[in-house]
Amino acid sequence: MSTKTTSEQQQRAGDSSQVLTFVLGNETYGVDILRVQEIRGWSAVTKIPHAPAHVLGVLNLRGSIVPIVDLRMRFALERAEYTTVTVIIVMSVVTPSGSRDFGVVVDGVSDVVDVNSSEIKPAPELGTRAATDYLLGLVSIAERMVVLLDIDRLIGRDLAVVPGTADDSHDEHVADGASAGSLAANAA
Amino acid sequence: MTVDLTQFHDAFFEESFEALDTMEAALLKLDIGAPDSELINTIFRVAHSIKGGSATFGFSEIASFTHSLETLLDELRSGSMPVTVEVSDLLLKSVDVMRAMLRAVQSKQPIDAQRVSDLQFDLEVAIARKSEPAPAAPGRAQGPAIGASPGAPQSAGHPATVAGPSSPAAAQAPGWQIRFRPFRELLVRGNDPVRMLRELAELGELQVRIDTQALPPLTDINPQDCHLSWTLELPGEVAEEAIRQVFEWAEGDCDLIIERAPSPARAEPLPTPASAADGAMQTQANAAAPDAPHDALPEPAVLTQTPPPPAHAAPPRPEATVSALGDSGSIRVSVEKIDELMNTVGELVITQAMLSQLGAQIEGTQAERLRAGLAQLERNMRELQESVMRVRMLPISFVFSRFPRMVRDLAQRLGKQIELKLTGEQTELDKTVLEKIGDPLVHLVRNCIDHGIESPEVRIAAGKPAAGTVHLDASHRGGNISVEVSDDGGGLDRTRILAKARARALIGANEALSDSEIHELIFQPGFSTAEKTTDLSGRGVGMDVVRRNVKELGGKVELASEPGRGSRFTITLPLTLAIVDGQSVAVGSETYIVPLISIVESMQLKPAGVTRLSGQGEVFSFRGDYLPILRLHELFGVEPNTRALDEGLVVVAEGDGRRVGLFVDDLLGQQQVVIKSLEANYGHIDGISGATILGDGSVALILDVPGLIRVASLRAAA
Repeated sequence: MSTKTTSEQQQRAGDSSQVLTFVLGNETYGVDILRVQEIRGWSAVTKIPHAPAHVLGVLNLRGSIVPIVDLRMRFALERAEYTTVTVIIVMSVVTPSGSRDFGVVVDGVSDVVDVNSSEIKPAPELGTRAATDYLLGLVSIAERMVVLLDIDRLIGRDLAVVPGTADDSHDEHVADGASAGSLAANAA
Repeated sequence: MTVDLTQFHDAFFEESFEALDTMEAALLKLDIGAPDSELINTIFRVAHSIKGGSATFGFSEIASFTHSLETLLDELRSGSMPVTVEVSDLLLKSVDVMRAMLRAVQSKQPIDAQRVSDLQFDLEVAIARKSEPAPAAPGRAQGPAIGASPGAPQSAGHPATVAGPSSPAAAQAPGWQIRFRPFRELLVRGNDPVRMLRELAELGELQVRIDTQALPPLTDINPQDCHLSWTLELPGEVAEEAIRQVFEWAEGDCDLIIERAPSPARAEPLPTPASAADGAMQTQANAAAPDAPHDALPEPAVLTQTPPPPAHAAPPRPEATVSALGDSGSIRVSVEKIDELMNTVGELVITQAMLSQLGAQIEGTQAERLRAGLAQLERNMRELQESVMRVRMLPISFVFSRFPRMVRDLAQRLGKQIELKLTGEQTELDKTVLEKIGDPLVHLVRNCIDHGIESPEVRIAAGKPAAGTVHLDASHRGGNISVEVSDDGGGLDRTRILAKARARALIGANEALSDSEIHELIFQPGFSTAEKTTDLSGRGVGMDVVRRNVKELGGKVELASEPGRGSRFTITLPLTLAIVDGQSVAVGSETYIVPLISIVESMQLKPAGVTRLSGQGEVFSFRGDYLPILRLHELFGVEPNTRALDEGLVVVAEGDGRRVGLFVDDLLGQQQVVIKSLEANYGHIDGISGATILGDGSVALILDVPGLIRVASLRAAA
């Protein structure tokens, strides 16, 4: 794990950025720290009708209603039990209709690390149909591989295409057709 | 250093548009021939501030035009030019032109220079013409109006000058002192004290002192009784006979003492504020109080107002005082800030509810004190929430104010005589509702004028006054606001509506319809009975749009009509879109909120009352109708506590004119809930209008009953 201090991080401007890493199954993932709003413990959610399976429901986050996404289910991992140590990371994503907040359920939060853009390796082309465009790249930190996620692509699209938006006047929430198509590809 | 003035442009435009609205309203209230000086001052101030502002920002066309306008207004203000119909029309046109100019400048479009210069020319012609002998007697033009003009209730609060501000010379001559003490029945017998005072004012510079000592408490006032008496001083040489003539009709209904004023000196100094405090009020406009008791009633301030210090001596400077009041009376706050405040307060309410729940569980010696504190907190929170809600509330006069002009123009164009009556203008409602109610109302009023009110000839033939009345009334009813648009015109033409509906195959040829079914027809899209399409109405877009707009706001439109007597549309709307009265229902572990406005009744079903229809699902009998049962647990995919219809409850709900039974596990309680958007972070869900946060901090979804019915019927069809 990285042990850089805050003052060092601030001195190293340029193309370095800070990443919050978290654990999901056996993997470590990272997201841009500037997108993280808060980290909170698990509490029961209110179910939303007709929602995709990985959208667990909504929570009250200081007065705004925030959808909660289970990343394990999003990545088709084995489902884990929600316990008192289950963590929700609340992030904001940028969608075509503006910024939205949502929470992801993860196994645990690890650390905040500095990542220099030159250290980021592109994700390998696997040649499969599985869309990997939500992967920003891979970076090796303390001999662990961290998968950097583009949450706008990963979640923004899910939030943008929810049941009921496609057929009526609420089309400001519908993303462009291309992303809806790629979501379908994801599902396949 | 240069200051970038463009940053102030928005404020300038916003204020100017508001000011023009004020000017327009004042113009419409202005009485031809006997203008209220206060109104003229208001109009003058608007022109003046727009001129100043546009000169500062370099909008020279506007500045030049308003300069001409100001010159004309100055003539009116000084009384050297009478207010005629032509002048009033000219001024109204100027308002339009100024609005157009401001709009053009705002959107950086070229100004319609031809229109501006034409009108500017007209203005200058009018100014030049004033040197010709004015049609109205100069004395009359000089003699300012007494009291409030009808239809201008606000002005009853302003001191209008009865006595001219100047010319103490006239007061030197010995005058008359008149003590006029009407009996209580004076008004009922058809006498109008204000008219008498006005007549007296024409004889000379009348000084009026009102005695309100006999005035009972506000709650005991019968508006038909006269409780006021007056002491009048009329200086100058006036024949006693002339004075007696004024009171001729009131003889026997009043005590009247007419005597020579003791000395010229007495005639001049009128009561000081001290003597006025004894109960004798020096009134000017207050003389109108018995004339307009309805106006006075909701505003006791009018009656108890201490008179301005020696108003009769100092020439009034209303500009200064009024604008000073306006400046300190309100501040401009952006809506976002208020919304933020509303959110924070909403949060506090939830936190407070959580604390109360926790406090109820705590035991021990301190618990009682804690609970007392929490109860206090709850009261304060409720007050805070209400005050914040009120910040967003605006009087409906913001919408009503556009109608006098609209009705005047339409009536002129259609050759109809129409009197517009506005009541309940101070009724407050949420800004968002206010913004959306305007268009439906405009439509209804147009409809009344175009279809409702008949031409003067037809009206007279039917034994009605030539001028029709369109009445807009707003009032609070429970948690709702109700706005009525009524007219005394011909009412809905049943036969024509039926013929039209048959022609359009909306109904069968021999179908008999009840009144309410006929009323329903005019809300059909594309329905119009107008014989010719005007630009006002008749194109068949209208009533259905009105209904849809109102429904979007969670309200409803009702219609009552009587042939030959007129029709009345009643719009009922929630006061605010931020809060809904809801019934919480339980389905499994989930809680849902059903808006109370959609609920007809809740009941328990007997197994025998339920029938399975093929293709229709389950139906049950309710007041002679068979209603489909929507099982919420099936619609929302949650695990219920019970699937047996007789173990749960059915909430009979109505949406889009259809009724269904919503099957739920249990009813929990009724409460007002703050509506939160699901779409801000997620998206729209069919059958759900939003979410709210319950006392324990958890989220509950609010049902959209019309949406649910649509979803369910789609499913049934699939």
